[in-house]
Amino acid sequence: MPDFPTSRPVLAGKSARHGKGITLEALPEGHVLQVMGATTSADLRALLDSAGLTGSALRPAGYRQWYAVGDTPLDAQALQAIVTALPPGTYLSDQSHGRVRIRLSGTRATELLSKGTAVDLHDSAFSVGHTATTLFGHISVHLSRTGETEFELTVLRSFAEALYSELEELAA
Amino acid sequence: MSNHRLSTGGRIDRTRTIKFSFDGKALTGHPGDTLASALLANGIQLVGRSFKYHRPRGILTAGAAEPNALVTTGAGGRTEANTRATMIELHDGLIARSQNRWPSLAFDIGAANGLLSPFLSAGFYYKTFMWPAGFWEKVYEPLIRNAAGLGKATYEADPDAYEKCWAHCDLLVIGAGPAGLAAALTAGRAGARVLLADEGFALGGSLLTDGDATLTTILAELDALPNVQCLPRTTVIGWYDDNVFGAVERVQKHVALPDPHQPVERFWRIIAKQAILATGAEERPLVFGGNDIPGVMMASAMRSYLNRQAVAPGKRTVVFTTNDAGYRAAADLEAAGVDVAAIVDPRARSDAGWQGKAKVLANSCIVDAAGGKALRSVHIAGASGTQTIEADALAMSGGWSPIIHLACHRGAKPVWSERHAAFLAPERQEGLTIAGAASGHASTSACLGDGARKAAEALAAIGFARVEPTFLSADDTQAAATPFWYVKGSKGKAFVDYQNDVHLKDLGLAVREGYGDVELAKRYTTNGMATDQGKLSNINAIGILAEARGVSPAEVGTTTFRPFYTPVSFGALTGTSRAKHFQPARKSPLHEWAKKNGAVFVETGLWYRSAWFPRAGETTWRESVDREVLNIRKNAGLCDASTLGKIEIFGKDAATFLDRVYCNGFAKLPVGRARYGIMLREDGLIYDDGTTSRLSEDHFFMTTTTALAAGVLTHLEFCAQTLWPELEVHFASSTDQWAQMAIAGPKSRAILSEIVDEDISDAAFPFMSARTVSLFGGNLEGRLFRISFSGELAYELGVPAGYAESVADAIMQAGAKHDICAYGAEALGVLRIEKGHVTHAEINGTVTPGDLGFGRMVSTTKPDFIGKAMLTREGMQAADRPRLVGVKPINPETSFRTGSHILADGAAATLENDQGYVTSSCFSPNLGHTIGLALINNGPERLGEKVMIWNGLRNEFTEGVICSPVFIDPENEKLHA
Amino acid sequence: MASLITCPHCGQRPKEEFTIKGDASLTRPAPDAGPDVWYDYVYLRSNPKGLHKEYWHHSSGCRRWLIVERDTVTHKVHSVTDAALTKLGGAA
Ligand SMILES: [Zn+2]
Repeated sequence: MPDFPTSRPVLAGKSARHGKGITLEALPEGHVLQVMGATTSADLRALLDSAGLTGSALRPAGYRQWYAVGDTPLDAQALQAIVTALPPGTYLSDQSHGRVRIRLSGTRATELLSKGTAVDLHDSAFSVGHTATTLFGHISVHLSRTGETEFELTVLRSFAEALYSELEELAA
Repeated sequence: MSNHRLSTGGRIDRTRTIKFSFDGKALTGHPGDTLASALLANGIQLVGRSFKYHRPRGILTAGAAEPNALVTTGAGGRTEANTRATMIELHDGLIARSQNRWPSLAFDIGAANGLLSPFLSAGFYYKTFMWPAGFWEKVYEPLIRNAAGLGKATYEADPDAYEKCWAHCDLLVIGAGPAGLAAALTAGRAGARVLLADEGFALGGSLLTDGDATLTTILAELDALPNVQCLPRTTVIGWYDDNVFGAVERVQKHVALPDPHQPVERFWRIIAKQAILATGAEERPLVFGGNDIPGVMMASAMRSYLNRQAVAPGKRTVVFTTNDAGYRAAADLEAAGVDVAAIVDPRARSDAGWQGKAKVLANSCIVDAAGGKALRSVHIAGASGTQTIEADALAMSGGWSPIIHLACHRGAKPVWSERHAAFLAPERQEGLTIAGAASGHASTSACLGDGARKAAEALAAIGFARVEPTFLSADDTQAAATPFWYVKGSKGKAFVDYQNDVHLKDLGLAVREGYGDVELAKRYTTNGMATDQGKLSNINAIGILAEARGVSPAEVGTTTFRPFYTPVSFGALTGTSRAKHFQPARKSPLHEWAKKNGAVFVETGLWYRSAWFPRAGETTWRESVDREVLNIRKNAGLCDASTLGKIEIFGKDAATFLDRVYCNGFAKLPVGRARYGIMLREDGLIYDDGTTSRLSEDHFFMTTTTALAAGVLTHLEFCAQTLWPELEVHFASSTDQWAQMAIAGPKSRAILSEIVDEDISDAAFPFMSARTVSLFGGNLEGRLFRISFSGELAYELGVPAGYAESVADAIMQAGAKHDICAYGAEALGVLRIEKGHVTHAEINGTVTPGDLGFGRMVSTTKPDFIGKAMLTREGMQAADRPRLVGVKPINPETSFRTGSHILADGAAATLENDQGYVTSSCFSPNLGHTIGLALINNGPERLGEKVMIWNGLRNEFTEGVICSPVFIDPENEKLHA
Repeated sequence: MASLITCPHCGQRPKEEFTIKGDASLTRPAPDAGPDVWYDYVYLRSNPKGLHKEYWHHSSGCRRWLIVERDTVTHKVHSVTDAALTKLGGAA
């Protein structure tokens, strides 16, 4: 019987990078749940809370789509509990391994992001809590403003290294 | 070499000296200089040779329109050809070289072209080098390219960084002269998000020359406003749909050694709610003989050098002007103590109220300028006869043309204004307003007022209430301008387009030969086709054409303005997308596992796929692949299948939906089962294939080919959202969520049984089973599929991507005693060809299900599916269509290549006799010879027929025989083991 | 060609985020509509001067199919709606 399997974060080798006015760091590969269907942000928030995921952020991702994300991995039972609680016509796809989160913070964060995305990130247009699925250069990302000078990028796992390396270069 | 720098004045920092070189000569200048002003200060007038005739050329302008002073800067990978000396900010270590001369600038062999000038007149491209045809490529073109031309690009890689960025603003102001500054200040005070871009390194435009005191105040206030961003050294190069502007910022083109962490140029895409075009006006050259001799300069340029850099290009200057500007230049020259020999004015009487020392020669023209590499004298003809005046500099002004380039990028046509004797663009277009001299205003106060007023109006249009203009509108008591297109009676060449060496007679010839239309004349004479796009020449050419045709310039019209306004480097357009960032690399979750197992990778689209896993002693890829293939058929192998597209399909109508997108049935697929499916295009031809499994009543899991992963998802979304929006179905791409491993070979069950907790015997988990399974004693959940691409007993195991490497290690460990090996895409290819399985080599956009032997899979009972209607049309079912078969060489020692064509035995090797082609081929280590899949006319009816396999490109012929496409285990005994 | 499309779900985005499919005024015929009707649907396209409705997919954004009505002469975008919601008669 082989050893107990372990998960290897795709950006495991990357240490946080601090540039002038920029900090770049890979976030823990916790959970990323893609929810689709005829529900609302409020209902989903309540559902996550009642499932004990009060620390998870719920982020709109377009028409009838959301991501619920957090730093802790969920086991099969926890996941199943959420799926069972979903209202009819609402579906969940576990993307905890398919999407990787990267945090970008600092006073120059918006300036750096404007080198990749056409979304207007001015405070008046993209305040804290705003999200956008957009292109960063050639790579599709889900972008969230998590603080005054703090953003999170969620990217497909297979693109994570390429995106991180591009961000590192721009952050230098 | 005399010093032309005045002892006082100018906006230069005399306390600092900048060292640079021109044609190897060490020179100095000061901060605030451009390369052009520094050369002039050093007494250097001759800076280049002209394109066609190799005539000596000097500095004509002080700005972006410069047609003559094109130099090559930098060295090695930083070499940049054709940069305008007038736009280069002087910096320490700048290396500049003149162009288009050999062996030297002063003595240029190519100047002999001047002697050939009868053959180089307008249309010479079309006339002189017509015959014989074969001479064009081998003789004429190299000759012309050698003789005519610009600087040479370097072959070395550019070591510098470039980047792109996006910007958003309420108001973009293009040009920081009086109108632009007033507009920016007005909008800035109103709290709008303002971007102010100017191509110069100093903001101010004409205020820099005029020495207006308001400039310092305005700049200080703009600087203090947090909502205003000033972008000096930034040229707005294009206006695009939806008010998007392109701009290039020269971030570090003015430093000797760029900071490697900063780009040298930044390409901006600016999304502006409103924009003010305040680009000013361009002074027109006058067309007379020898108007290109070094020392001849635009009057405004001479003023600029005088007032900004304290440089007097000449010791004794003559002024030739048709308007006030020449008098302003003369006044500034005299104020600086420079001798003005005469002011020559073709008008009857000057209305400038000239009070200076120089004599005014009214009703007069400079007919010819004399001199070789420097101006010596001018020949003047007027009412009172002719005279020759000695001068080493000439300031000319033929009036003003508003710079409306950007305003016409989206199709607006310039309109001729008699009052301005100039073409004007529509003053207001949606999102763009022209202000200041660019809209025909002349005085500084009028431009300030106009900029302020138009900014206020533009902001009002986007909801800013009651914006106060910062400057009051001023009357512009501008006299009507009189156009003056060329001087009559010149003996020497009178240049219209300096950069392309088009002179007055060329345009006359064009009209006489029937090419008088402005667009035809442009191409016939090449006027306006150089890198300066005719900034100085177009208007004079239009005037000359108009006069020759006896019509108004309005009737001649302009040629089309197109982006870019000035040349843009490839670096800026490329941004960061170069070298390893040329395109993003996609890595499989098993990438590291493959790497440590020695994989050789191959790029497939963006993916890096493991191609084969060489072992010690193997010297060719074939040895590795043959070993992998044989081992899988004998023992087992593990292959990374993660790059296959994976789509989760949810919804109560998911089954109905799948029934409509696949040509075979899916609605009745039981939970826990997988099915091979074929998707057609609406034209009835196959789009993609793959396996789809039902994981629960309302949850399916689809796999696609690697190539079409993105395309299939888009197709499904199109069908669901636009064709059948009433169906409840949702898609989530899970390609990246699941690491997918193919475990194939007779030992695969034994190996997997050590990992998978459930019973996976043939009885419990038969062929085409698909289930969520427990792994490692309940420590992990995965998805197990009993499907096979190789034809062996095989499984695909999906695990969450992070666990990929760990699980693959475990499988390899468990498989060690069964001699498992890692295998790559190449072995997979051989295995599937041996089994007759198709890929996109066969699904080539021309095949129907029937062509590939899937005819009976197509549902006849489903009421509708994509492609159903067109699949029944004539010809789609014809027996003589190219259909899938196998081919093999008659002599197993011989082989053939993919792409080879099939000829009937004995038929001549002609296209008419082509009967199909080999879609895939490989060496089969199991059979010991080459095998192939082929699409051959009526193929399945011709099994056993001898054919010739013909590779026309390499002239190879191989005798072959048509056979079944299934070379291994046609009874599927191994599959169902 | 428009430079910016205002996605009803995502807001103003550059054209790079979208993929264009073509005429959005076509209706998929019934399976038994006959060869001529199908031939028209699959192969024949008009190339209108002026207003034109097209399918645009917000492929790097919300992945919704949109109907973009734009002017092929002026390039002005007149409306952008969600295709499914429009067809279902709802607001987009
Ligand atoms: Zn969208």
